[in-house]
Amino acid sequence: MPAITCIVNGTSTTMDVAPGELLADVLRERLGLIGVKIGCGEGECGACTVLVDGLAVLSCIYPAAKADGRQIVTIEGLQDDRHLHLIQQAFVDRSAAQCGYCTPGMILAAKALLDLTPNPTREEILTGISGNICRCTGYYQIVEAIALAAERSREGGM
Amino acid sequence: MSEVIGRSVERADIATKVTGRRKYPQDFSMEGQLYAKVVWAEHPRARVVQVDTSVAKAVPGVVDVLTAEDVPVNEYGIQTCDQPVLVAAGGMTYWTGDRVAVVVAETPAAAEQGRRCVRVVYDVLEPVADAREAIRDQVLVHQGKGTNLIQHLKIHRGDAAAAFARADAVVESLYETPCVEHAFLQPEACLGYIDRDGRMTLIVAAQWPADDLRQLAHLLDVSQEQVRELVPAIGGSFGGREDMSLQPLVAICVHKLRCPVKMVWTREESIRGHGKRHAFFIRYKTGCNRDGTLLAIEAECVSDAGAYESTSTVVLANAVSFMTGPYFCPVCWVDGYAVYTNNAPGMAMRGFGASQAAVTYELQMDKMARALGMDPVEFRLKNILVEGSERSTGNRMPAGTAARECLVAAAGAAGWKETEGKWIRPDAGRSSGPHKRRGIGVACAYKNVGYSFGFDDKSTARVHLRLGDKGDIASAVIHTAAIEVGQGVSTVLAQIAAQALGTAVEKVHVAFTDTATSPDAGSCSASRLTYMSGNAVYRACLEAVARHDAILRDETGELSVEAQYTFRGRSYRPTTDWDPISGACDPHISYGFGAQVALVEVDVETGEVQVIGLWAANNVGKAINPAALFGQSAGGVHMGLGYALSEEIVHREARLRTRRFSEYYVPTALDMPQQFVDIQVECPDPTGPYGATGVGEVPLLPTAPAILNAIADATGVYVNVLPATPERVWRRMYPSASIRGRPGLAVV
Amino acid sequence: MPEEASVWDVFVTAASVADALHQLAGLQGEGRIIAGGTDLVLQAQRGLCPSRAMVDITRIPELDRIETRDGFVVIGATVTHARIAGSPTICSQAPLLAQACGSIGGPQIRNVGTLVGNVVNALPAADGAIALFALGAEVEVADLDESRWLPIAELYEGVGMCAIDPCAQMVTALRFRPLAAHLGSDFQRLARRRALVLPIVNVGAVVGVYNGCFTDARIAVGPVAPTPFRASEAEQLLIGQPVSDELIAQAAVAAASSARPRPSLLRGSPEYRTEMVEVLVRRALGNASAQAVAA
Repeated sequence: MPAITCIVNGTSTTMDVAPGELLADVLRERLGLIGVKIGCGEGECGACTVLVDGLAVLSCIYPAAKADGRQIVTIEGLQDDRHLHLIQQAFVDRSAAQCGYCTPGMILAAKALLDLTPNPTREEILTGISGNICRCTGYYQIVEAIALAAERSREGGM
Repeated sequence: MSEVIGRSVERADIATKVTGRRKYPQDFSMEGQLYAKVVWAEHPRARVVQVDTSVAKAVPGVVDVLTAEDVPVNEYGIQTCDQPVLVAAGGMTYWTGDRVAVVVAETPAAAEQGRRCVRVVYDVLEPVADAREAIRDQVLVHQGKGTNLIQHLKIHRGDAAAAFARADAVVESLYETPCVEHAFLQPEACLGYIDRDGRMTLIVAAQWPADDLRQLAHLLDVSQEQVRELVPAIGGSFGGREDMSLQPLVAICVHKLRCPVKMVWTREESIRGHGKRHAFFIRYKTGCNRDGTLLAIEAECVSDAGAYESTSTVVLANAVSFMTGPYFCPVCWVDGYAVYTNNAPGMAMRGFGASQAAVTYELQMDKMARALGMDPVEFRLKNILVEGSERSTGNRMPAGTAARECLVAAAGAAGWKETEGKWIRPDAGRSSGPHKRRGIGVACAYKNVGYSFGFDDKSTARVHLRLGDKGDIASAVIHTAAIEVGQGVSTVLAQIAAQALGTAVEKVHVAFTDTATSPDAGSCSASRLTYMSGNAVYRACLEAVARHDAILRDETGELSVEAQYTFRGRSYRPTTDWDPISGACDPHISYGFGAQVALVEVDVETGEVQVIGLWAANNVGKAINPAALFGQSAGGVHMGLGYALSEEIVHREARLRTRRFSEYYVPTALDMPQQFVDIQVECPDPTGPYGATGVGEVPLLPTAPAILNAIADATGVYVNVLPATPERVWRRMYPSASIRGRPGLAVV
Repeated sequence: MPEEASVWDVFVTAASVADALHQLAGLQGEGRIIAGGTDLVLQAQRGLCPSRAMVDITRIPELDRIETRDGFVVIGATVTHARIAGSPTICSQAPLLAQACGSIGGPQIRNVGTLVGNVVNALPAADGAIALFALGAEVEVADLDESRWLPIAELYEGVGMCAIDPCAQMVTALRFRPLAAHLGSDFQRLARRRALVLPIVNVGAVVGVYNGCFTDARIAVGPVAPTPFRASEAEQLLIGQPVSDELIAQAAVAAASSARPRPSLLRGSPEYRTEMVEVLVRRALGNASAQAVAA
């Protein structure tokens, strides 16, 4: 099949992908973006969440071919060279990661949520991360981190 | 105490985790690596007649297919060498997680193709699927053992018949706690290779690397110095990585092929391939005076140990030891049996026998309080263990016993009031709808900290100081294989070290675990690392400080200091093993305590349970990092919530029927209690580093019983079989006919 | 991750409906339509999807619309659950469909999975489909010769069996009449946790009330039979009768009596699920009636 071209973390990338290849594998194996985590391979845990044209998507069940022409953002694309993204910093400040395996997907789900709903209620935050399983934290510190990020963003953070 | 201890310093590894830079075993790759895939046993109980690898070997890209013949010494196991690395032709499979062959290929796709081409011929036998049947020994799981009984442990203290005869109230019930899955987010993965020094090296998530080396050395028939494990990061553990999983498989591939080999399990393989929490079947009888004093406890429990022994005897020991709860009871008769079946092996999982016990003793205590018409907190306080109390095994509870403090803290926070020495429960509040009922429930629990029953539990730490020009500490590196699974131990140890060294925590770094350079810290389990490794780090640092002082005093000009210390639990409290008749012993180095209150709302038409509020009080001894402790507490509640309401690994005929995350219901963010209050009780353990004690497991133990007791408060019925799914709750409420035809709801 | 590196041999993107159908024809029975792929990818990995070639329709502009046209609300084949759940049109014209689509999976699944894809998958545990049954929806089926509208029930032949030929036909749109002022609706779902889970039972109800009597009643139930179904006996009990709790309770009992659930490890026993049909139908009718009366 023809090569696909997509913008991955701001960089235009052209690749040959196999028809049934999945986006998570392409990102991890071809592009070395090992921040994309595989937790279950069936779209049931959210660890593989990436942003496709700004929407949170499960890359482990998303055919890479569908990414043609789209903007993909992984956790690696969130920060600039010197600073953590506001959401990442909030996770640090609220101790919102333990084993860290769900964290990249969780942060991207949070970004998708905040981009759409900059001033979310607690219920909206919970729904926004309801597709991301965490086995370590019980989610409370994660919710606080997202609320903190929203607050800082409104106050004119990055 | 100054600023480092007690401060929620930034987690040592969190910056790498939020940026996705932190690498887990599957994120490592090496030039020229091959890919390995497992051929799993098709049947839980079968004789392997033949393993034909010829077709698989001919698949383009397949380099080799390893079978039992390729394993130098085909046995391993954490306590007993009863597991084969690969089941040999002529050998038996004992569960569907047994491995028959490993296909190694140039690409994952070729390995997969090769795997499908391995032809195994089985002589299929009827599996032993139920522990309660297995105990009768009609069909033996392991022929050579002569019995399915792995161990019978008991506490026989006092005259039970006489005590029950005297009792004013007796409660007896049957309980079933399920097989559950660790469900850590990171599936098993391992990259193995021969390092520059010729060592078999495995990059893997492991809870006890030193013990892995012992087992690997045995199965490879090499010395332990020739094996090495690197633990870069672990995506959750909860006991599920204490036994080896894929290390033996990767090791034999690397050993034979002498090149890097990578194996990554899918989630289905993960669920299939590692053991589970022991399911327990428990009959429990409690007798009491009318004034609320416990008179006798009699409990009989059977644990499903599954295919292999793993740590079943220790889980059983803990279950028996903790079965009577954190209460004084003069007469205790506890009989515990661990039994083989062809189900998944029961292995370590957070709680380790104490969790199953907590469900049963706390429902019993609740039922007894109800029978006596006593407030549930009042009744528990009347019997609760304090320092100096005699527990079930006849030993006295040590300083730092905080059961009472935790119960009072949790209950008080949830609204219990003490008036004139009497505790009165709060009102559960108005329900949110016509078909909903609210209920409030309480539970307490306790657990050992450190290994027990005479085990020489120890932990070694080495500290290396680099000194600046002025002789000040420029940096400190701690070397210890105290495994960071996400609980925050790296951070806590850095804080302890900083405090002991008198230096800034930013200057202290805990090195990655590399068995070549990290001394054995013992297992990341039994809630022991803060206590055991914390003590080792503390003592090593004190020694380093002494040497540093000497350098300065003598003006030797040396620029580095090194000190190592092995902390032994028996130096503080030697533990003893069971008396074979009475069960009397001094089993545990130290104890952790917790209590929780749950506020639930039950939909009495559907049986759905929503936990609205949860108050948790855990004794932390001394809060070294409060934010990390909050995380442990909340995470424990999450796991306990799942245990109570939604998580269940189902075997039918010893085959897994719940094989994927889509079939196994871990709580999502929407399932957590809206109100969660965490209370960090500080009742110091005088033997812990700065008074701290272990909190890895206790946060999970009271959750399920608190929720179940709250369900009983709301509905009038106790669900004795977990998980309390909507249907199970519904069936307890409506045991006979359907709702249809009944004149309205007949519910308390 | 998948058990093999590539579950399909061909993946092509269609520029139009005609293009999609021509590509399908060219693949001579080996191809099928893919939209979000959230079900298809898993089916392919598990060896349950016989097709080795996929024709992606998500780039076809005319399929990506929610619009009102000729008195119908029309939803194109590539519209996702997330868009439906958040659509002002759907929230005002067919609120139960927004409820249903909003309860599927989690946000990520809803961002990619499509309602039409869910229908074509033809599993009875399909929240969106339950709402569509209650809305009396129709489905536009297109092949190279023609396109025509079918009542949604005609698409369901059995568990996982859709009446269309996935190698030669495609569903291009759904449509239903927006709920008029005197109609109320509700969607009920019972499940073992609050996200990322298939339902034990779900119910969609649309009722009309005028002068205190039921004028319309559509009750859809699943998954308690091989396909979603309308509880027509229960509907008939209501129509023309004065609204009352007792009547609603009777209708709920009647609805439950048409349930034929098989034992399910994850969903529970037939007895429990049948009882829950009664509970959920009763609640859905109660809420829908209240909404209709208040309108």
